[in-house]
Amino acid sequence: MWINMGPQHPMTHGLWNLRVRIEGEIIEEVDPEMGYLHRGIEKISEDRHYNEVITLMDRTCYVAGLAWEHLYIIAAEQALHLEPPERAQYIRTLSDELQRIASHLMWYAAFVQDIGLMTPFLYAMRDRDLVLDLFQSYTGARMTYEYNRVGGVRNDLPTGFTDRTRKVMDWIYARFVDYDHLCLDSDIFHRRCDGIGVLSARDCVDWGVTGPMLRSAGVRRDLRKDRPYAAYDRVEFDVAVADGADVTARYLVRMEEMRQAVRIVRQTLDWLDKNPGPVLADRLPRWLGAPYAPVGREGYLLKRNFPTGRGFSSVEEPHGEAQAYVVNTGGEHPYRVKFRSPVFANIAAAQKYLPGYRVADIPPIMGSVDICVGEVDR
Amino acid sequence: MAASAPKENPTNPLSGVVRPLATAARQFTKSLIRPSTIVYPYERLEDPKFRGKVAVASGRPIGVGDVWDNYRGVHALNIATCISCNLCAFSCPDICIEMVSVAGDDPKHPKKCPQIDYGKCSYCGFCSDACPEGCLTMTTRYELAVTKRAEMVYSPERLHEVFQRKLPMNPIRLERPANEDAILLDAPLCIGCNACARDCPTKCITMLDVPKPTARPGEKLPRRIWKEPVVNDSDCVRCGTCISVCPKECLFWGTHK
Repeated sequence: MWINMGPQHPMTHGLWNLRVRIEGEIIEEVDPEMGYLHRGIEKISEDRHYNEVITLMDRTCYVAGLAWEHLYIIAAEQALHLEPPERAQYIRTLSDELQRIASHLMWYAAFVQDIGLMTPFLYAMRDRDLVLDLFQSYTGARMTYEYNRVGGVRNDLPTGFTDRTRKVMDWIYARFVDYDHLCLDSDIFHRRCDGIGVLSARDCVDWGVTGPMLRSAGVRRDLRKDRPYAAYDRVEFDVAVADGADVTARYLVRMEEMRQAVRIVRQTLDWLDKNPGPVLADRLPRWLGAPYAPVGREGYLLKRNFPTGRGFSSVEEPHGEAQAYVVNTGGEHPYRVKFRSPVFANIAAAQKYLPGYRVADIPPIMGSVDICVGEVDR
Repeated sequence: MAASAPKENPTNPLSGVVRPLATAARQFTKSLIRPSTIVYPYERLEDPKFRGKVAVASGRPIGVGDVWDNYRGVHALNIATCISCNLCAFSCPDICIEMVSVAGDDPKHPKKCPQIDYGKCSYCGFCSDACPEGCLTMTTRYELAVTKRAEMVYSPERLHEVFQRKLPMNPIRLERPANEDAILLDAPLCIGCNACARDCPTKCITMLDVPKPTARPGEKLPRRIWKEPVVNDSDCVRCGTCISVCPKECLFWGTHK
């Protein structure tokens, strides 16, 4: 019998449909259907200035906006042959890691709700709010940041920001113990989550599964280490890896990643305190500076002998490895923008890790994937 | 693939229930003494009383008022200093800004100021970044509920009312890039029509006489006014109005040799 879980279902965390063929209580076959939230972001990007695409990036993944901005910005800077100042690199690293904490807390809140625990949901959302407060203090918004610019970031950190962030980091770091008490020490949690949703390392690689799901299968793969970008080669951290490849292992990986993120944030804060400087590259083409006046006749950049180029970037965003490709053919808009969403591959692999388990196992398993439909459908 | 049996729980069954409950109970008693919530709308996050100190939200490690300095909310427009340069409308990614006439001194040439459709606005702040005079800024106001769709459109006068309320404004002003391009003239194409100087919002373009060349026998001089625009770069806000009004497309962006 085929049943539809979604597109309106508490399990889905957004608009997508999981069609399941069941035999009694056992899942025989699944068929994930995506595309309900398709907004044509790649096509809209072709009609916008390089900086204006950033507004779309926050909406691509609405729980990890800064990580997606970073992803696009690296590709765009490569395509435009620009080098951001070092301070901007550190601010981006800081933003990425704060975003990782916020995103993982959001995942934690949604995931524990999936397995029927309401109390940790409220705790996680409360602590995420503190990180959003930090974002608000330097970007000006809580979810749609629009903070990165091609060639740097929009503004420097406000005064007192580093002290506030340290306080919040201390606070949140102490809270992780409570999370583990609520979940790992709970008998109910283990009965629901141990040994389900197993996806072996071999299958992860075959299906293109990345991020915490891949690391939970024991594969030590993290782009921040393997192909460092921004300031990740200048900070110390460990890659979170777990064995078991099941739902509990994914929980452990994400919890450890949050602890490592706090560690990275503290290091970047120390560096930012000691090294003031510019946050925006000083030799920007005029149409990338503050005003965005019309650039006049067609082929403006070609006439100015501005070099064409292509940019490719891959970033370890909270859900996995995201990739972006930007083609600059000399116009004021990118000629083509393409994104690779990690969650798309992670959901597609449901055909591999769901069959064999029970219907009641679907919410914890899909919850452990950390789905953000905005980036799946783009 | 078969479902594997649940693993043996490493903790003893009693502590497996007691520890989570004890944690929840501890948090519950904490929240009775120091609630982490703000009682909106009786208390507001942007309230100055939360600034710098930990007030009602004493469960929080930082004061909530501290984080409102850079907030991007509803715009405030100072009509008096607006120069109608159109840069906000150009910079808007959502095309929600329209330049409309406001009542002014000269009814024949009314001043144009931005009108913002908040049904479309994404609060990205590009417009206030682009504003060369700092007359369009973003405030901490965020309550926008209306009963009719037409009320989402804020006319310049309404934006000016927001300005008059003296709400805290986003203090960040972007510095203009040092190597900014200037307006250059492709002199042989110019017909001296004065369109650029007429429409320049900062009046930084002056039309200077150029000597009329003496025609050699058989040569026909172009029909034109023998004047050429000269741009004062220090006053120019780089809005590009002159480029868009030029009928001969003889103005362009470039760097001085």
